[in-house]
Amino acid sequence: MARGTSWRILGAAAIVAVVALPSAFLIAGSLRQPGLPPPLTPELVPDPVVFGNYERAADLVGLGRAALNSFLVAALTAPLSVLVASWAGFALVLIRARVRTVILAASLLALMVPLTALLVPRFALFRSLGLVNTFVPLVAPALVATSPIYVLVFYVAFRRLPPELYDACRLEAASPLQIWRRVGMPLVRPVAVAIGLLAFVLSWGNFLDPLVYLHDRELFTLPLALRSLAQLDPTNYPLLLAGSVIATAPVIAVFLVAQRYFLHEHRGAGWLGR
Amino acid sequence: MARPVSLVRLERVSKEYDGVSAVRELELEVADGELLVVLGPSGCGKSTVLRLVAGLEEATAGRIMIGERDVTRLSPGRRNVSMVFQSYALFPHLTAAENIGFGLVVREVRRAEVRERVARAAALVDCAHLLARRPAQLSGGERQRIALARALVREPDVFLLDEPLSNLDAELRAQTRAELKLLHARVGATMLYVTHDQIEALTLGQRIAVLRDGELQQLGTPNQIWREPANRFVGRFVGSPAMNILSSGTAVGLDTPPGAEVGIRPEHVMLGETGVEATVMLVEPIGSEALVHLRVAEAALVARAPADAPRSVGDTLRVSLSREHVHLFDAGTGERLPWS
Repeated sequence: MARGTSWRILGAAAIVAVVALPSAFLIAGSLRQPGLPPPLTPELVPDPVVFGNYERAADLVGLGRAALNSFLVAALTAPLSVLVASWAGFALVLIRARVRTVILAASLLALMVPLTALLVPRFALFRSLGLVNTFVPLVAPALVATSPIYVLVFYVAFRRLPPELYDACRLEAASPLQIWRRVGMPLVRPVAVAIGLLAFVLSWGNFLDPLVYLHDRELFTLPLALRSLAQLDPTNYPLLLAGSVIATAPVIAVFLVAQRYFLHEHRGAGWLGR
Repeated sequence: MARPVSLVRLERVSKEYDGVSAVRELELEVADGELLVVLGPSGCGKSTVLRLVAGLEEATAGRIMIGERDVTRLSPGRRNVSMVFQSYALFPHLTAAENIGFGLVVREVRRAEVRERVARAAALVDCAHLLARRPAQLSGGERQRIALARALVREPDVFLLDEPLSNLDAELRAQTRAELKLLHARVGATMLYVTHDQIEALTLGQRIAVLRDGELQQLGTPNQIWREPANRFVGRFVGSPAMNILSSGTAVGLDTPPGAEVGIRPEHVMLGETGVEATVMLVEPIGSEALVHLRVAEAALVARAPADAPRSVGDTLRVSLSREHVHLFDAGTGERLPWS
């Protein structure tokens, strides 16, 4: 076996161990009898195995509805972030070098501003627009690509494509939008899927923004619902862990579905058929 | 339908990058249906000339005409030119057919027509059997054919070819060179072909423009460039091995004007029983011939001679030059001087 491959396997095994063990304890903990304190020693299969925590957690704080809300927000945020960030990153490749330098510097500066510093002005803005207690403040950042880092990642990805490909497109009278759609995006697809996943996960796990903007219980997203669960029965760990499993599972499912798209080469647009 | 006049004319075209001149006041005309080769060493600005005609670079000064149209400020897509890139610039995610038809699809030509034109262009360069493959599944030569078909499919006014053979191995290069010449004869298109390879230039070009440091050194037929190089640079750049340059004719028994350098191609250096004495310094066999490095008085000279004549390092022999093959260049400016 090649030396590089063995190191890769070893690295992957280490990552799996770091992630798998807490996940196993999370699931095992969610299957314990309600009200029991955490076990003193690690316990992979509780005795007896109780599935009722899931139902109870879902009923107590409406986890089902919260999951639907979270999914709605993440499903809007992720593709919108990819769309806007890829447009911006692609535009950075096409514009003049001097303008690009200014924008890149501004993006890096924006990255250095802590998000909490913007919380109050953003809240004031959405309140004045009458959009508090709606999903709009949660989705709106995607309209500006959510984070400058997404734009920078797309910029680097598009820039790594051979410049002759862009030249060939320009000679064929392709518009920037056509170049983006027909050449740029298919060739940076793994990056696009990765950014989409990242945006989905960040939106799914976002606690602060829903806490600030959502008051209505019907609109609560999963992190808020979990918080409610913790407040309702703070010492009922099996219940809390069952809620956590419900909150985590969809993200893992999305990742499993998406990984084949960013781990495999693009198979072509196929507009001419075979 | 009459083909549009596709004469390319560069009028005092200059291009500067941050104050550094890449092309200087270039005057160049390509006749309708002509294959003109721009020849020069790396960094001489030849690819910049091509990119200026394509519109991928904007001229700092001057005017570029295609037919009767002033295209100087037109975007590349509106110039109706096609380009074959050195790297071929094929889209890796598309099949060969999709690559060839890309320009037509972008221009929203009907799918049925796209298919038909793609098939026709592919047949022209003999790559119809490759249409379903992706670039990664093609060899260098096959990619080159697809790139050529992509250039042909739009039937542009001008074809621009940027060192299209440089990524091929020697055998394939010679074969493709011949095919390109045949293709040009068949299609009759106006072609501007950039290369640093003088063999390519001499075999393909109907005329050759030799460029150095962004300046045109000579424009002429391959025969003119070969027989009457306009200056020392052209004389030495075209021909392999390079033309011998001697600081005067005295060493080889020629009566040359003062301040004139002597240029003589290796194949015109005659080795025999007459002439001045020379010592063999090195013999390089190249198949049926050998390059014989000689020392004549204080000057070094390379001769091309039949390989079967036995010559060894240290041998003494006689060298003579025929005046009709000797070129004179001004020692200061390097410009060609007439025999007087």
